[in-house]
Amino acid sequence: MDPRFMWETLGKLVEGVPLLFQLVTVSLAIGFVLAVLVALARLSPLAPLSRAAAGYVFFFRGTPLLVQVFLIYYGLSQFPEIRASFLWPFLRQPYWCAILAFTLNTAAYGSEIIRGGIQSVPWGQIEAGRAAGMSGWLLMRRITLPIALRQALPAYGNEMILMVKATSLASIITLMEVTGIAHKIISETYRAVEVFVVAGSIYLLINFLLTRAVKQVEWWLSPHLRDAPGAAVKEEAALVH
Amino acid sequence: MTPAFEIKDIHKRFGALEVLKGISLAGAEGDVISIIGASGSGKSTLLRCINMLETPDQGEIRVGSEHIVLGPGRNGRAAAPDRRQVDRMRTHLGMVFQSFNLWTHMTVLENVIEAPVHVQKRPRAECVEEAMALLDKVGIADKRDHYPVHLSGGQQQRAAIARALAMRPQLLLFDEPTSALDPELVGEVLRVIRQLALEGRTMLIVTHELRFAREVSTRTIFLHEGRIEEEGPPGEVLVAPRSERCGQFIASHY
Repeated sequence: MDPRFMWETLGKLVEGVPLLFQLVTVSLAIGFVLAVLVALARLSPLAPLSRAAAGYVFFFRGTPLLVQVFLIYYGLSQFPEIRASFLWPFLRQPYWCAILAFTLNTAAYGSEIIRGGIQSVPWGQIEAGRAAGMSGWLLMRRITLPIALRQALPAYGNEMILMVKATSLASIITLMEVTGIAHKIISETYRAVEVFVVAGSIYLLINFLLTRAVKQVEWWLSPHLRDAPGAAVKEEAALVH
Repeated sequence: MTPAFEIKDIHKRFGALEVLKGISLAGAEGDVISIIGASGSGKSTLLRCINMLETPDQGEIRVGSEHIVLGPGRNGRAAAPDRRQVDRMRTHLGMVFQSFNLWTHMTVLENVIEAPVHVQKRPRAECVEEAMALLDKVGIADKRDHYPVHLSGGQQQRAAIARALAMRPQLLLFDEPTSALDPELVGEVLRVIRQLALEGRTMLIVTHELRFAREVSTRTIFLHEGRIEEEGPPGEVLVAPRSERCGQFIASHY
């Protein structure tokens, strides 16, 4: 182990962090919206919609993400229709192919997490909403989803961590994120252990920060699990006097 | 005088079991009707049929200006009623559940203003003001910013009553409002309901508290196996019932 070399390597690998960050945030953000929609479709009483969602989840959970990345990057260009379409300027770039694969993959896992969250909402909460005249999207938006997403958050945090690590697959289709740069340095120096120790540390640090962030969001979303607001009441009383 | 609410010939079946075998009931403004009966007699189901948390297989429900008729559809099963009309009718009905069912992710105040603001689309400031008056009336104004989990069962149920009142309902439905409470917390909830009776609210109360029923209600109904077995002033039904079954039920409850 050569500390000087590792320090230099760290400097080079960090240059891949912004790309990693983009891949993660864009695919998690779009993937989350898609995951909610797929979960709702999965729970829909309309059988074709529910079955289509189940098929989508089956496919994207049942095949390796690496295969999905390859299929999208190499596979889509096989179709002249796609090459002729307005999507081609995006889909011919490895960046957008990676984002598409990651998004579709995380949405499949995420939808199952959210479906579990929705189904774990106590029935009495939903009945109270119905009895108050709510139904459809209003009931979903005001009662079911807020409770469901709070319940799903710890499991969803897990999925986010998996996505951070999954971005390393983007290096396979030429993207120079952290793992891609690491490969390049190794092929030039043959010092695999030191380079991967540094690369692994970067992922570890990112996931440490991500874990803390998810914890913080859990805390924000759980005022009902914290202490009773005695302090707040006293503050108000002080303001009144 | 038109009744505040009226149900006609309500039938409800769960599979092969017919839980309600044709119940008709009407109440005038200010009526407090207590519904008693052994467990399994259909009293909770009856209450839940009135606000359509259970869809009756057959019958009519009229609350204020809303009138819903249910009957066997073409395929022999109950035709689905218009969802919007059901939602609208429910805003005229305040429901208080046995297990409170306050929304756990909202504070007491948020629970109370939820339906007025988001269902009835009334101005928020007005709703908050009215909610504070209601919380004051049920005696938990100081708990407005607490989450339900931080309240005792009795406080939760009083908050739930305030939530039901906030919609300005024409009829209040109470489904065994004290059955989930520790004995020492029952009194505070009954006091609130008694106060509402004195104010002349129209209420339907499913309860096992016979003493309370006798005290607050203007009429008592004894359900047995899905039918109204006996009906009359509480002083008669609960003291000197004509039906033998009602007599046995009351004897076993005092």
